Amino acid sequence: MWLLDLGVVQPNRIVSGTGYGLYAATGWLGAGVVSSLLVAAVVLATKPIHNRFWMLALLLTTALMAQPLLLEVFALRKLPEDSEYARIGIGAGFWCLAFFLALMLLETLGQLKASRRLQLSAVLLIVAGWWFCATREGLSSLSLIREYANRADQFTQALAIHLSLSLGAVAISLVLAFGLALAMVRRERLRRPLLGLVSFMQTIPSLALFGLLIAPLGALSAAFPFLQTLGIRGIGWAPAMLALIAYSLLPIMRNTYVALMEVPEPVVDAGRGMGMSERQIFVQVKLPLALPVIIEGVRITTIQAIGLTAVAALIGAGGFGTFIFQGLGQAAMDLVLLGALPTVFLALAADAILSALKFQGASR
Amino acid sequence: MRLWLAPAAWIALLCALAALLPVMTPLFSWVEPGTDNLIYTRDSFYFLLQSHIWLVAVSATIGTLVAVSAGIFVTRPAGSDFLPLVSQIASIGQTVPPVAVLALAVPAMGFGEKPTLFALVLYGLLPILRNTLAGLGGINPAVLEAAKGMGMSSAHVLFKVELPLAGRVILAGIRTSVTINIATAAIGSTIGARTLGDPVIAGLVNGNTAYVLQGAILIGLLALATDSLFEATERAWARAFSI
Repeated sequence: MWLLDLGVVQPNRIVSGTGYGLYAATGWLGAGVVSSLLVAAVVLATKPIHNRFWMLALLLTTALMAQPLLLEVFALRKLPEDSEYARIGIGAGFWCLAFFLALMLLETLGQLKASRRLQLSAVLLIVAGWWFCATREGLSSLSLIREYANRADQFTQALAIHLSLSLGAVAISLVLAFGLALAMVRRERLRRPLLGLVSFMQTIPSLALFGLLIAPLGALSAAFPFLQTLGIRGIGWAPAMLALIAYSLLPIMRNTYVALMEVPEPVVDAGRGMGMSERQIFVQVKLPLALPVIIEGVRITTIQAIGLTAVAALIGAGGFGTFIFQGLGQAAMDLVLLGALPTVFLALAADAILSALKFQGASR
Repeated sequence: MRLWLAPAAWIALLCALAALLPVMTPLFSWVEPGTDNLIYTRDSFYFLLQSHIWLVAVSATIGTLVAVSAGIFVTRPAGSDFLPLVSQIASIGQTVPPVAVLALAVPAMGFGEKPTLFALVLYGLLPILRNTLAGLGGINPAVLEAAKGMGMSSAHVLFKVELPLAGRVILAGIRTSVTINIATAAIGSTIGARTLGDPVIAGLVNGNTAYVLQGAILIGLLALATDSLFEATERAWARAFSI
């Protein structure tokens, strides 16, 4: 961690710059603070001190919150003032430090058997810390922030497209998959062909499915001009949406079916004994019991859809994948980061939200 | 024997199409009229297929070795301290989309096969690791007690009881990992790996649907052939250990 580059000074956005290690980047003060912090964390983790895990959690959370300040110090010391295009990039050392601290925090929270609320507040504190640092003047020379500043409008648009494509596909396939699962519960012989078809689609790689949809959709839109006015063409959102729905069906459908089939028979009988109608039993007994497993299916699907939407940028659907593939094409690594980091963040956020929902559904 | 019929058929179809696509010009001229470049010729389809399979096979081998040994280590008494952390990493890691892993490998390692392979290994590890933990953790403790009671050493218990019992779950993990990696390797074309994704990307960039179709068909067939191969292997495994 002391040997890897903490940051890079680049003369412009394409040329790869010169890297600086921790000591060279932040001077003896910065290097001293980071080193003593790591030593303190290791001491706390190994020595039997009273309340050590609470202290460790506090220390690590603060360290993670303040970590971007290292880059600010670096920018202050090393950025040439006369050059308009000069910028600083984030080095491998910075990411390694963040990863290491996060890993230790995860382990500490596990040792504390921290409640969901406590875990969430630690994460929110860290996000707030990074947000605060990112909006400060001192980091305006960070290349990631420059790339963002050049594309603030496109970024908002990409966020809107990414969310509407992935969440729209999940919503549509939730309705479809729920209906199909109910049909399978009613008619046992539908189970094999339906599950077979849906898992067959899941096996086809995303790039191939997107590619295979281009020709038929293109032909359809050429044959029926009114489809073109709706924006349905061989490329764009239409094939992306179709493929996303197809991929989203399996997890929800399988989980809904399994959950509904596994409601214990005595519980259903008790409902009947109380004089409930079949509809009441379904809505008031079976559905609440099955809910956590169904939400788990939605969680898997949503994470998957957020990732696949990034791939759909290749067929012109928009979203954060546009930045990723543009950046790869121009060899502008910070543009790649501008697309990849929000995608990861969206997936992690969806995971956190839906896990919390599942937890609530299960505790009721 | 009949078990292997379906995968054999898929593999035969895949090889046949890789050879025959270049002579199917009339079909593609119907798809993409008005151009002379109907068949992707920068590399032969066989070369791309071979390179694609090579990437996935190498990453699956490394991933399986690392993940299974890590899974075994954390379920032994010596490594049990790491079990919660490792299983948490496995589940959080799977939340990160594979495209993002691929994209983030480029700033760290540059363009080409190396970052692709790195991303495939890293991401492919996780489903195998998770299933190894689930498989080893799901064994009935009474079975392990019985094995110990028979005087088996702990290495004996691992190789004669635990791994055969957990094998099917681990195999399912490898299947998931390979399915994801075939798809991710195809996207690896955008960072300079030479795979069956090349014709698709080239076709998308140049607006040539015929190229896209050729790549997509072969990628799809590769995935289906591999999946049915795993299906047959899982059945054979179940039969061999009569689970």
